[in-house]
Amino acid sequence: MQRYEVAATVVEHQRRAPNQYELILHAPPIAQTAMPGQFVMLRPLPTHAPLWRRPYSILRANPDKGVFSVFYSVQGTFTELLSLKPIGSTVQALGPLGSYFQPVRTAKRHILVAGGTGAPPLCFLAARLAPTLQPDERLWFLIGARRSDLLVGVDEFRALGAEVRIATDDGSRGYKGYVTDLLQQALEEPIPSAVYACGPNPMLQVVSRVCRERGVPCQISVDAPMPCGIGVCLGCAVKVALPEGGVWYKRACAEGPVFRAEEVIWE
Amino acid sequence: MGVTPDLRVSLGRLTLPNPVMVAAGAFGYGLEYRDLVDIAQLGAIVTRSLTLAPRMGNPPPRVVETPAGMLNAIGLQNDGVDAFLLEILPQLRSYGVPIIASIAGETVEEYTHVASKIDRAEGVAAVELNLSCPNQARGGMEFGIEATLTAQVVSAVRQATTLPLIVKLSPNAGDLVSIAAAAVEAGADALCLVNTFPGVAVDARERRFRLATKVGGLSGPAIKPIAQYHLWRVHQALPEVPLIGVGGISSAEDALEYILLGAHAVQIGTANYIHPTLALEVIEGIRRYLSEHGFDSVEALRGALLDS
Ligand SMILES: Cc1cc2nc3c(=O)[nH]c(=O)nc-3n(C[C@H](O)[C@H](O)[C@H](O)COP(=O)(O)O)c2cc1C
Ligand code: FES
Repeated sequence: MQRYEVAATVVEHQRRAPNQYELILHAPPIAQTAMPGQFVMLRPLPTHAPLWRRPYSILRANPDKGVFSVFYSVQGTFTELLSLKPIGSTVQALGPLGSYFQPVRTAKRHILVAGGTGAPPLCFLAARLAPTLQPDERLWFLIGARRSDLLVGVDEFRALGAEVRIATDDGSRGYKGYVTDLLQQALEEPIPSAVYACGPNPMLQVVSRVCRERGVPCQISVDAPMPCGIGVCLGCAVKVALPEGGVWYKRACAEGPVFRAEEVIWE
Repeated sequence: MGVTPDLRVSLGRLTLPNPVMVAAGAFGYGLEYRDLVDIAQLGAIVTRSLTLAPRMGNPPPRVVETPAGMLNAIGLQNDGVDAFLLEILPQLRSYGVPIIASIAGETVEEYTHVASKIDRAEGVAAVELNLSCPNQARGGMEFGIEATLTAQVVSAVRQATTLPLIVKLSPNAGDLVSIAAAAVEAGADALCLVNTFPGVAVDARERRFRLATKVGGLSGPAIKPIAQYHLWRVHQALPEVPLIGVGGISSAEDALEYILLGAHAVQIGTANYIHPTLALEVIEGIRRYLSEHGFDSVEALRGALLDS
């Protein structure tokens, strides 16, 4: 798959919540080829500290306008530098990178499960998936966050006609508890389902187990530190079971970030 | 002004079209960047270190960002020398770029076995010995940390291949100059310095080491002054030996500094991750500098530091 290194033009920093922004970038080659679950490596300025580029999942892409967007919250030097980029200035962007979600066409219900900051790639997946659904296929969105002001994507999913269920750690909105509890409940209903999840690794581990127990196909987008994002450094290792037997470390940035849940070995 | 400088450099028997290589571990097996970088323009590609059998590497987390640098403990993950020779090399050599095979091992026999396999293959320009490897027979102590051990592995590999032999030094050695001299004495054609410096990073909130292996190797801009110091010292002690400078290069200016300190050539490691086309920009920057300052070759600039 072709990857592009471009100077992407900042179109807008759209405030979505306190300290949280959607950054819209003009970069036609990336906007035209990105798939849901893929990410870009961004570099606001050529600094030595911070040194690495940072990976951002693609939240939205509009091939016609040549724009795509990512979601960021301002915490630390890197995101502060990003937030200070004026409209019209450029950010180095490398992408689209990694594997993507593959809709399970036999499922009657597509359950997208987001925890913490995991919503953006699922918003992109929902936007691409919704128009392709058959009349008997449903879209569900389960989202968990620490507090209600950290929830992302709820309105988007509602607008797409999805069944939305919310969990917060403090009970400030929706169910008080974990999003994985909502998944357990949802899977009680005997509808052929497929699960697509993104969030912190401990959450993904539970999601994977719940799906395995019920024989539900599940794809997860994993998190790993990424010095390069393009498959060279081997820093983003994820332990996987190989089909031919044995285990190996695969790259979250190249074979991932989206893996079949049963492939990943959690330790 | 106006001279068209000659960028070719010779490291003993090894001649490269220009002095800018990509370092071991920084460019994968060589093909990973081909959609982003015109790899045919590089001075050379050094492969990630190859071992006899596939190696899985260390558990994650294996990398952590540090101020102006990073720590890594990849643990030499690679698919083994046979997979490289069969699946990668035939494609890679069609680009015409000099290919330097970096090799590693846990025993002297592993080094020589890997070297002899590479010696029989077609299209490898040189072998680079990574001596920053744990030595099984010595409880995991690095080969490159002691002069006798260095001499032992270098002369064994020297017997196993007729290819030009580059020895990459570990900065963990107490006295780098004596290791350098031992490597040359044992048959090295050129020396490459340095590999990463040992370091740790701590997460105070979680009260844990940030790397699963606790200790990792520090690389990136943070190490440049120390790496340059080592290169300069070894150059002063062994002025006739071709040296390759590596550590913290992220611009043409950084590369020129190494050449001024006596390096014949340079390698770019960590900066490739952040800026994939950097090596090509460094080549162009060196060409421009030579031309603007009236030097007709890299060799003319080498070691040309003014003393006062
Ligand atoms: C992730 C990573 C992997 C590396 N792998 C190897 C390797 O396989 N063999 C080797 O000789 N050096 C390896 N190195 C060391 C580099 O080749 C280089 O010596 C070092 O990083 C210093 O240069 P830099 O500051 O430009 O990165 C690796 C470095 C990094 C950061
Ligand atoms: S981040 Fe470098 S290989 Fe994945």
